[in-house]
Order: sequence, then structure tokens, then C-alpha cells
Amino acid sequence: MRNSRILGVGRYVPERVVTNDELAACMDTSDEWIQQRTGIRQRHFSDGWTGAADMGAEAAREALDRAGLRAEDIQCIVFATLSPDVDMPASACLLQHRLGVAGMPAFDVRNQCSGFLYGLAIADKFVKTATYDRVLLVGSEVHSTGIDLTNRGREVAVIFGDGAGAVVVGPEADARRGILSTHLHAEGKFAEKLWLESPASRSRPRLTEEMISGPDARIFPKMEGRYVFRHAVTRFPEVIREALGANGLTTRDLSLLIPHQANLRISQMVAMGLELSEDQVFNNIDRYGNTTAGSIPIALYEALEAGRIRDGGLLCLAAFGAGFTWASALIRW
Amino acid sequence: MRATILGLGHHLPPEVDTVGVRRPIAVDPVGPSTLAVPAANQALAQAGLSVEAVDFIVFATMTPDVTFPGAGCFFQDQMGCATVGALDIRAQCAGFLFGLVIADQFVKAGVYAHILVIGAEVHSAGLDYSERGARLAALYGDGAGVAVIGRGDGNRGLRGAAIHTDGRHHDRFWCEYPASRQHPVRMTPENFREGRHFITMDIDAVRTFGEQSLPAVIAEALQAAEMSPEQIDRFIISHVLVDVAETVAKGLNVASSRLNIPGARHGHLTAAALPTALSEEVVAGTLGGGDTVCLAAAGAGFAWGAAVLTL
Repeated sequence: MRNSRILGVGRYVPERVVTNDELAACMDTSDEWIQQRTGIRQRHFSDGWTGAADMGAEAAREALDRAGLRAEDIQCIVFATLSPDVDMPASACLLQHRLGVAGMPAFDVRNQCSGFLYGLAIADKFVKTATYDRVLLVGSEVHSTGIDLTNRGREVAVIFGDGAGAVVVGPEADARRGILSTHLHAEGKFAEKLWLESPASRSRPRLTEEMISGPDARIFPKMEGRYVFRHAVTRFPEVIREALGANGLTTRDLSLLIPHQANLRISQMVAMGLELSEDQVFNNIDRYGNTTAGSIPIALYEALEAGRIRDGGLLCLAAFGAGFTWASALIRW
Repeated sequence: MRATILGLGHHLPPEVDTVGVRRPIAVDPVGPSTLAVPAANQALAQAGLSVEAVDFIVFATMTPDVTFPGAGCFFQDQMGCATVGALDIRAQCAGFLFGLVIADQFVKAGVYAHILVIGAEVHSAGLDYSERGARLAALYGDGAGVAVIGRGDGNRGLRGAAIHTDGRHHDRFWCEYPASRQHPVRMTPENFREGRHFITMDIDAVRTFGEQSLPAVIAEALQAAEMSPEQIDRFIISHVLVDVAETVAKGLNVASSRLNIPGARHGHLTAAALPTALSEEVVAGTLGGGDTVCLAAAGAGFAWGAAVLTL
């Protein structure tokens, strides 16, 4: 079976920067509190009539450009998001439309913070089985329209930012290089520790006016931060070691770890637990907040730009988040 | 090596008369993940596998239990599937076929041995049962169908498949709200009062596209399988408009004895339609080992697909 690799990476973040001080103007929080708890200094919010697919299309164009490809060359579109442009159909359909192409399959992956890596696992297999030669994978989120920017929602609202990243996955001739393996997990027991309830097809009806507004509004994400933190700092190292172990490698072989940018304190604890040096880990949450499915490709793009990933270097991508879901991918660049 | 269906199961809630037509309706407030549990247990029993043997879950739905996380996570917990991955995909009416193709990749790549591919929907929670929405509400039913996918042997397995999307038509058959693209808030009480959270459909566009895309994609899957229509024991065709499936079958010259239109019995089960229809026939003994079926579906997105497989 042939191998696969990332042929090009693209990124898009909306222009508008929202600082911690701006958030402190509409809720009881402070720059100091947010930085201390999360490491976030600012995030980007989109405006106008911008959805996840609109931003994803911008990131996709850059990824295609860098891969030396045109939109027409794409044979499959995988779109990871938890903030779709519309309720139905999948945002992948709108992205395909924005890119001006039609015919190739396009579907959404809804795996929250692990969405990009679940999507990468799928793209990788499509290429390895030689089903497709060019798979476009996009991770994109517009969180800003779905968070409660009042005191009630502050614990979650300060974390999230808007942003998109994209990669093109294609074949790699050298069996020792490219995407070496992917590892996917979930534990639905904790589904309600970090979730957004409504609309909910398990409610009758799935949406009411009370769910949208009022004191019991359920259209905003909720999080039990303590639980998420505790599980994150266990599952991250576990799934990183699983990827290394599956390939007969250890943390010493790792050139760079790009963890999903959920919280700088989580990333630091994971790095410490794995005894990774500072130059073995890439973080950029200070400038973007948590962009969920967008965070890993955005960070990958910046790590490449900064020269942190060299030819032949061993790269690990890892994620943990709502579901709970967690995942990793090991790549020989 | 081919991926194959090792076992099938389905679960339909009791029929209820809603807008003058009887449909399987999940009256109890449960989501698609809960409907899928008995279907999955039936599929595993048929495959002779225990829950512990499952190493991946692919859950296709357009009516998830909650907005996030995905229905697959809720399903995984109810099944007791330890910490195996639970992928949620959205490909609307073609969701099961997209899931089948994805599962096929993981099996072929040797990553997973036993994958549960689920198509499950609870449409009734989101339908407009008022006079305005009655026409659409009458079309849908709730249900779940599950296939256990694993390594095939000999003649069994997935012989050919084709999946497609054309996003230019995304707003011809859609549910617009909540819409993350609407700033500053993706869903307002005004959007709600206007009923923008209900499905709307351009029936003519959906009919025309179904009548064009289904014969083409069936031909494509048959070609990939290197088979002719005469070699197919059963065509299972799913479309929200039953008459579209009938027209397509007529065009293919398929006699009623070789045709299964799940929508004619249950209403449109979307992602659940194909695995449910297949499972029903296996339970009834009208399909069994060695029989070759062609599954086809087209709908919102627009997304469509077909698969040819030997049981």
C-alpha cells in the first residue's frame, strides 16, 4: 500500500482582533485572569455574513496554491467543523460551491476538537488505498456567533476564536515518509462535560424559543472545565505515546509536537509530562484562542512558516476535546 | 481484499399517525444514538461478534442527539464500546453510503477489523407539523440501520461504489438555521418565529436531480463492480420522493421482485433507509449470503451515491 503526505497547507483568520480587554468590557473578566488560566491574549472574530465554509474556502485556496494545484484537481472534500454555516446540508457542500467545483464527494466530520485529526485519518486512508490522489481537508470554525458574551457564558466565551486551516493530502512515494499512522478515540460517557445541547433531536421538539433565549438558553456551549482539564492531561500523552509506540519511536525522536490549541496550561502540562523541551512543542493559542477544528492546521501553517518543521523531521499532531474525543497522527515530514 | 457486511440490524419505533399518514415515530424523547443501539446489537449478533470486537464507529445522521458532540459519542457510551473512535459524518440522504465508503478505506488499509456503520435519524423532533409544514412532515420517518463492516472473503463484499456531491444546490433542500454565518447571533427568536429552523425543499429541483443522478450513479457503481444490471438480485433505492425511486427503477427495467423502495413503507429514513431495508430483507429471508445488491440514494447537498455488494 502506498503512503500519503501533506502536499500543502493554508490558513485564514478574519481581520478583526478581539483582545481580552474588549471581552472584559461585556463580562466580569480581565486580561490577567484569561491569560493566567488559558494563555490567550487575543482571538479573531469574523463579521458580516461569514460562515465556516467561507473562511475554509480561503484557507483551501492557499493550501491548493502551495501544493501547486487547482480546485478542479480535488477528488474529495472533507470538512471538519462544529459550527456549520447552516444546520443542513453539510458545510462541505457550501465550501465546494465557494470553490466553484462540483461532482467530487464532500462531507462533514463532526468530531469537535479532534475533528481535523479524524478528517486527516480519513484523507490518509483514501490516499493509501489509492481511491483518491488529492483530498482536501479543511478545519474551520465561526464560534463568535454561538457563544454567550455575558457573565453567564464567560467561562467558555473567553476561550474560543474564529479561524480556518486546510491541507491537501496526496500520495508519497517514499514508504518511510509522510503520514505514518493515525489514532482515533472517543469516550461518550463524558459527552455532556463539554457540549452544546440545542437543537437536540433527543428533545421533543428539538428546538423551542425557550432554548434560544431567556434564562435557560441551551444554544450556547457549556463546559465543566475541571473535568476537561483532567482528562486532557491524561489522554494527550497517552495518544501521543500510542502513535510513537506504533512506529517503534519514542518522545526523544520527536522533532515537533503540535497539540490542538485548547488551553496553554494543558499544552504545558502535556509537554512536561512527556519531558519535551520547549523547542519540541508549538503553541500559538495566545493569538487565536481555541479555534477547535481549525487550530491544528493553523498551527501547522505557522510552524512551517517559522521553520520549525524540517525535511525528515518527525511531527506529531494530537488533539483532545468534546465528546470526549481524542486523536493523534504521526508524520515524517 | 474487499470490505464486507458481516451483520445487519435495524430498529424502527412503532408507527404513529401524525399528519394523516402512519410513520415510525420515536415518541419517547430519545435521539438517533438510542435507536441505533438495538439495531447494532442485532447486527453484532448476526455477525457472531461481541461488543468488544468493535474497533471503530461511523455514525451518519442529519438529526444528531445534540448539537455537539456527535451522535457517535452518545452511541458509543450506550453500547459500552470502551474508548474506540466514534466518527460522526454529515452527508444527508447519502450518509450511509458515504459511511460505507469511509469504513471500506479503514478495512482495506488494515487499520480496523470490525466497524459499525450506522445510519440513524429522529426526524420527528424537527418537523413542522403545522398546516404549513404538513406536506414535508408526511414524508419522513424515524429509524436506525446498522451494518458491521469487516474483511471479506471469496466473493463476498463491496464490489464497487461511487459517491458524489454538488454543493451548488445546497439551498434547494436544506434546514437553514441555526446558521453560524449569521452575525452576531446564529439563531434569534425572530428566525425561530419565522420557522427558519425547519427543512424546506424545492420539490421540482430535488425530483429532477434525483431522476438524473440516480441512474448515472447506479451505472457508475455497476461499472466499478464490473457487473450488469441483470446480475443484481435487489436494487434498493432511497429518495425522499418515492415516485423518483419508482421512475429510476422503471428506467433500469427492474421488475418489482428485484426492487426495494424503503420510502414506500416507512417514509424517508434518510441515512437509515438503506441499512434498514437491507436488514429487513435479511431478517425476512428474502436476501441472504451470495446475493448481490445495489444500494442507491440521492438527496440534500445535493449528495448522492451507489454501492454494489455481495452479501
